[in-house]
Amino acid sequence: MTMIEVAEVLKAEVLVKGEGVHKAIRHVVASDLMSDVLLVDEEDMLLLTSLASDQVLRTAQIVGAVGVVVVNGKPLPSSMVNVANDLHMSLATCKVSKYDACVAVHAALNPA
Amino acid sequence: MSTAPQTTAAPETKPDADAGSEPLVLLELIQRLKVRDVMTSQLTTVPRSSTMRQVQELMRQKKISGVPVEEDGRFFGLVSIDDIIRALGGGYISDPCSRHMTTKLVVLEDDMPLSFALRYFDRYHYGRFPVLNRDQRLVGIICQRDINRALLVELTHELNRLENVKVHAVDKEGNYSIYVLREFPICKYDFENAGKAANQIKQVLQEKKFPPKVIRRIAVAAYELEINLCVHSDGGVLSWLISNGRAEIVARDAGPGIEDVVWACQDGTSTANEWIRSLGFGAGMGLANVKRVSDEFEITSKKGSGTTVKSVIYVDVPAGT
Repeated sequence: MTMIEVAEVLKAEVLVKGEGVHKAIRHVVASDLMSDVLLVDEEDMLLLTSLASDQVLRTAQIVGAVGVVVVNGKPLPSSMVNVANDLHMSLATCKVSKYDACVAVHAALNPA
Repeated sequence: MSTAPQTTAAPETKPDADAGSEPLVLLELIQRLKVRDVMTSQLTTVPRSSTMRQVQELMRQKKISGVPVEEDGRFFGLVSIDDIIRALGGGYISDPCSRHMTTKLVVLEDDMPLSFALRYFDRYHYGRFPVLNRDQRLVGIICQRDINRALLVELTHELNRLENVKVHAVDKEGNYSIYVLREFPICKYDFENAGKAANQIKQVLQEKKFPPKVIRRIAVAAYELEINLCVHSDGGVLSWLISNGRAEIVARDAGPGIEDVVWACQDGTSTANEWIRSLGFGAGMGLANVKRVSDEFEITSKKGSGTTVKSVIYVDVPAGT
């Protein structure tokens, strides 16, 4: 499943299509604590977060995430799209809560 | 009777009040560079006996807009394009230049900082200034083009120094290896830029095709240390070096220091405030995470002075680099 397909599931708006936008997602991390994200050793992960800041994108780039979805309809600072473009990091935003986003993405990644 | 120019040397004045708004590198440059470093010292000059027409012809040939009148280093005045135009209009283009040259001149001294020259171009709107040495001998002329050229050259040197990137170096033992060194200044609470250094390090490693797992460990160590400098120090420097199969990332600051280093390296220990936590950091896992991804880890610190953290990660230099 790719970030584009996850965006469809979450009815998310994809603001930046970065390098990893068509990569298969192998792991999902949901966290607002970037220190926690930096502890994850998984490759090709998708980051779900309700933290809307440039540092989210920089953290995602450091750990090699395929993309970031900002949940809860958090308004994004205007700089975020520019930073995402600079880092070639996919960025999407959706209105659902982090918990609901986790449930929906889990269901989509693990069909019954 | 000889004609002496009425020269006014630019007096020493205090730096402009708004000088602090300039980038520090540029400020340092215009203070460090002297007028003599920037001026043109190979001068085209004429003696006092040259006619205004001869000066005009010289200007045309050399494509210059001002000619100093000088004999044996002694400076008498300057003939400008304006003087030539007036001579043509006034019908005295065949007169000796000593009679019509500009003698009320503002001059610069060769050991003045470049900042003075910049200020005088701004104040007097002249195209050029003659430059005299301490013995009042003419040693050069300075125009804005000289300044632009010198600043571009110096800024390029400065950028190279700051980046200090060397690739494909040979070490002391004669081994051919990749060698990269860079230093990044990190400012306290500068969250707008925090993380950029680590992001750049990662991009360089990706370009050099290092193994993804190694890149990730180096990037995580660099990022955690960079965020630490931003959050906890009064500002410092993050440097990184790759040589002989080792990536060394060093975060060095000048304060405030850590009282209990062992405590600071434990998971979950943090002195970060709520604001830092609201930005997603300050959970107290930074140093522990650096230690986790490092093959060698060192920290030295003293309360009231600085902290130095060194992370070493073993790397294999990719083939073909």
